[in-house]
Amino acid sequence: MSVWNYVVTAHKPTSVSHSCVGNFTSPNQLNLIIAKCTRIEIHLLTPQGLQPMLDVPIYGRIATIELFRPHNETQDFLFIATERYKFCVLQWDAEKSELLTRAMGDVSDRIGRPTDNGQIGIIDPDCRLIGLHLYDGLFKVIPFDNKGQLKEAFNIRLEELQVLDIKFLHGCVKPTVVVLYQDNKDARHVKTYEVALKDKDFVEGPWSQNNLDNGAGLLIPVPAPLGGVIIIGEETIVYCNANATFKAIPIKQSIIRAYGRVDPDGSRYLLGDNTGTLHLLVLTHERERVTGLKVEYLGETSIASSISYLDNGVVYVGSRFGDSQLVKLNLQADASGSFVEVLERYVNLGPIVDFCVVDLDRQGQGQVVTCSGAFKDGSLRVVRNGIGINEQASVELQGIKGLWSLKSSFNDPYDMYLVVSFISETRFLAMNMEDELEETEIEGFDAQTQTLFCQNAINDLLIQVTANSVRLVSCTSRELVDQWNAPAGFSVNVASANASQVLLATGGGHLVYLEIRDAKLVEVKHAQLEHEISCLDLNPIGENPQYSSLAAVGMWTDISVKIFSLPDLELIRKENLGGEIVPRSVLLCTLEGVSYLLCALGDGNLFSFLLNASTGELTDRKKVSLGTQPISLRTFSSKGTTHVFASSDRPTVIYSSNKKLLYSNVNLKEVNHMCPFNTAAFPDSLAIAKEGELSIGTIDDIQKLHIRTIPLNEQARRICHQEQSRTLAFCSFKYNQTSMEESETHYIRLLDHQTFEFLSTYPLDQYECGCSIISCSFAEDNNVYYCVGTAYVLPEENEPTKGRILVFAVEDGRLQLIVEKETKGAVYSLNAFNGKLLAAINQKIQLYKWMLRDDGSHELQSECGHHGHILALYTQTRGDFIVVGDLMKSISLLVYKHEESAIEERARDYNANWMTAVEMLDDEAYIGAENSYNLFTVRKNSDAATDDERAKLEVVGEYHLGEFVNRFRHGSLVMRLPDSEMGQIPTVIFGTINGVIGIIASLPHDQYVFLEKLQSTLVKFIKGVGNLSHEQWRSFHNDKKTAEARNFLDGDLIESFLDLSRSKMEEVSKAMGVPVEELSKRVEELTRLH
Amino acid sequence: MGSPLGGWPSYNPHNFSQLVPADPSAQPSNVTPATYIATHRTDPPPNQVITTESRNILLRHFYQKSEEKLRPKRAAPDNLAPENSNKQARGAVADVGSQSNARS
Repeated sequence: MSVWNYVVTAHKPTSVSHSCVGNFTSPNQLNLIIAKCTRIEIHLLTPQGLQPMLDVPIYGRIATIELFRPHNETQDFLFIATERYKFCVLQWDAEKSELLTRAMGDVSDRIGRPTDNGQIGIIDPDCRLIGLHLYDGLFKVIPFDNKGQLKEAFNIRLEELQVLDIKFLHGCVKPTVVVLYQDNKDARHVKTYEVALKDKDFVEGPWSQNNLDNGAGLLIPVPAPLGGVIIIGEETIVYCNANATFKAIPIKQSIIRAYGRVDPDGSRYLLGDNTGTLHLLVLTHERERVTGLKVEYLGETSIASSISYLDNGVVYVGSRFGDSQLVKLNLQADASGSFVEVLERYVNLGPIVDFCVVDLDRQGQGQVVTCSGAFKDGSLRVVRNGIGINEQASVELQGIKGLWSLKSSFNDPYDMYLVVSFISETRFLAMNMEDELEETEIEGFDAQTQTLFCQNAINDLLIQVTANSVRLVSCTSRELVDQWNAPAGFSVNVASANASQVLLATGGGHLVYLEIRDAKLVEVKHAQLEHEISCLDLNPIGENPQYSSLAAVGMWTDISVKIFSLPDLELIRKENLGGEIVPRSVLLCTLEGVSYLLCALGDGNLFSFLLNASTGELTDRKKVSLGTQPISLRTFSSKGTTHVFASSDRPTVIYSSNKKLLYSNVNLKEVNHMCPFNTAAFPDSLAIAKEGELSIGTIDDIQKLHIRTIPLNEQARRICHQEQSRTLAFCSFKYNQTSMEESETHYIRLLDHQTFEFLSTYPLDQYECGCSIISCSFAEDNNVYYCVGTAYVLPEENEPTKGRILVFAVEDGRLQLIVEKETKGAVYSLNAFNGKLLAAINQKIQLYKWMLRDDGSHELQSECGHHGHILALYTQTRGDFIVVGDLMKSISLLVYKHEESAIEERARDYNANWMTAVEMLDDEAYIGAENSYNLFTVRKNSDAATDDERAKLEVVGEYHLGEFVNRFRHGSLVMRLPDSEMGQIPTVIFGTINGVIGIIASLPHDQYVFLEKLQSTLVKFIKGVGNLSHEQWRSFHNDKKTAEARNFLDGDLIESFLDLSRSKMEEVSKAMGVPVEELSKRVEELTRLH
Repeated sequence: MGSPLGGWPSYNPHNFSQLVPADPSAQPSNVTPATYIATHRTDPPPNQVITTESRNILLRHFYQKSEEKLRPKRAAPDNLAPENSNKQARGAVADVGSQSNARS
């Protein structure tokens, strides 16, 4: 039963709601602080651009953030208020690199109607108080005392009930707010109030202004000495102040929701409107008096939700609807008349309105294709876990036993030869003049035997190690220069080399160490070990890239790895690996300046150790399972950074991010050998030996999730994949705004699922919009169709009363309309169901049969239906069961009775949840998301004793996700090995408005219990930033109830165990009574679910 | 007055001086900084856990009224403070006034 669920983020929120600039991390560092729903990002302004410093999870949805400078402080503090009425004030302690909580608290009131227009949190420019508008008719004040400490908060009655914006005015003797509000005749006005801190009340302020633009929605306070406020409307911009200065200018109709102050004196502001146009508002002034307003067009950006002027004409544009951007304001317009130059774009998947999971390679690993962004910033995003190898060339070659690349001279930047070893021969490939690989000869090398190792060496030499000998060959003449022969009766089993050293092992546990001196091989040292040697490595990790002072050796029999010092071949460390599986590959490497020893076993497990490069000491032992077959490890470099490639049945790239080792799978089925192959024709490429094939490919950027953007310039709303036709189809709309009229045009579009090339478009009728799309087939018809549900959204109707179901076939890459059926409402959801089509149409669930007419054509014929919903928005089916997610009546379970040809309600959840998505986890358990950002699971009570109980879906799990989920889909972002334990865990992917892609994994009960214990232990060690409580954050909360989270685990918290320092891990381990290694392994396994 | 563009404020002239604009055809960047984990104490200083005054607005109003009635003598020093600030305020207003006079 899938009721013990683990929720984890695969892609963090990227939609930006707020941003601000100040000296947060140090008095002389300028920081950009970005709020992304439940996270804060801190960046540093540098000559090279924005340097990301920290990503700070906040236990709350951020309602407001503001930087402020209390009196007598040299750097700014950060004020954060959350939607669930908590707030905190943070200060950066640069010495300890810690975020200190200066103050925190709860600003909720027991009685109060939450504001409709969002929460407002503002700080007096003279730091006398924090003002909060959280409930209609109330203004909450948190006063500062003269030492900058916060005092007890109090409420002030605010007469204006429909508040649109409140700001503090600058340069006022008493703290003064300006309130923009709407009266009960829908007219908009501004009014000022002085806050009398002593009397805890408002005093009528110095001025007011009635009858503003009906679309006035934003106030911009102007700093002293100008003072006053700018009121941004949809058709006018107005400036007014206490001296009755009143300046107004008309603007082209637009909705401006974001502004950024440019000059500290407030003479210029950047304004961003709903079409993504950036304007400059100029306040002309003489002798501290505003004389006029001017608006200049600057150019186009993403539709802005926040604008922060950074420095030297560079501006950050934060967006909820598209990618956020770093832009430069130029003095001269470019060819298109724009003064805005985009310097950098930052990925934003939000809002994810819908997505589908596509398993292109049929490997059990899905890639997610999202409908992302809104309006002109709409796009499809292809999100794939792991690292892609893009094959450039391949050739059939059977039985490859090893692969090395060689340069034609030691200092050549590019590789020239590819050495391919087979069981009884070695072949040499080289790049010819036409940039093709062709077979060549290296005369000094032994081509009649298997090669064990190859390497470029100093003095322009090439090294080849075979079972019998080590050969040194000149790069220029390709002739043999020197040779070391294995002692009679012994053959070399394993070998490794670098530019000046060779280490090899022969049977009988003999370890031989050679150095290259004056183009000669010199046997420096020999050691006899007690067991046979299974693998070895002397990759230089010290300062000298041509010489290693350490060697790693893996052993048969006692299953250990040993570290020897060079050149004396002294054993300095032995690490027993335990178990019975022999180490097959060892590697010394340095990633992001941290040295590691990696040791891979014959069963696909990998040990990693931190390695002290001078003492050889090994610490921080960790074990992860990468695959099931022996692994071979090799370093490679991509874009100047070193990574490790682990060849096995589940090839993996091991890389370091923020000094932590991460494992990312590669989109190849099985790789036997890999070597870097960096040539002029194939720069930064890899040569890869698979079963029966040698290929050369380039590698994606090394990061866990790979995201590809397909810009649409319109908004996609529903998407679906059809494997048979190798296409994707989606419903989208384009927003047309002419000078007077606004209209939308809706389309069904068809794309190639591999190239994402547009194949075909079907325009919908006027006022008709696509609401649902599926790929399905019908009983007694072998064809596969796209079925689209639509609604006619007429301006005069509250709910649509007409819609259509359109059935398309894909013929020659085109959408061909086969059947259309009119419906009596919006077709919110469609499902393929028992060879028929199930549709959710307004309040009704309707089942259609696919009927063959006499003329050979088909029609949809209504079979049966089920009434009784407010709006049936989401349906999912399994067998004969139908789960319906209602607009406001939670989840109900219906059943289709074949013999009676009827749909009946079996059970329902009687809570009044406003649903945003539903999915069936299995036959018994269903998951729902509702519009207060909660998740819950319900269970069918089929064994209950009474009918009443059976008619009730029992709520078994509750959890506050803090994200608005638009869609659940079964599937996995990672390759699932069916024979592994984790491969058995079913997962559901979800997508949210803020651009989060998350995973819900249904765990076995014992694993759930273990992790629940780990979570409750971790809460004691990992604190909420700002001292916000994890328990309160994750408690189910909507306007009807608050309940402790149950049967859901916070995977983000659990997986942060791996980011703890070793000493903290040990404390957790002690509290849990489970060894650190075991804990790490179990948590690592969880990270591989996403 | 010339173009309103340009003359952009500069806090540190080096900032963004070496920034190379990203290739417009390239995919947007997807870098998340290291995640902060608070393993230290996060409690605020003892008196800085803020709550809202529990007395409701009406009651507070009544109490304030009754306090004023009970202690009429205290009213005098209470009134002094706003007077002082009024003086400052007038000074500020006077400044503006004199400038506007000078202009006209």
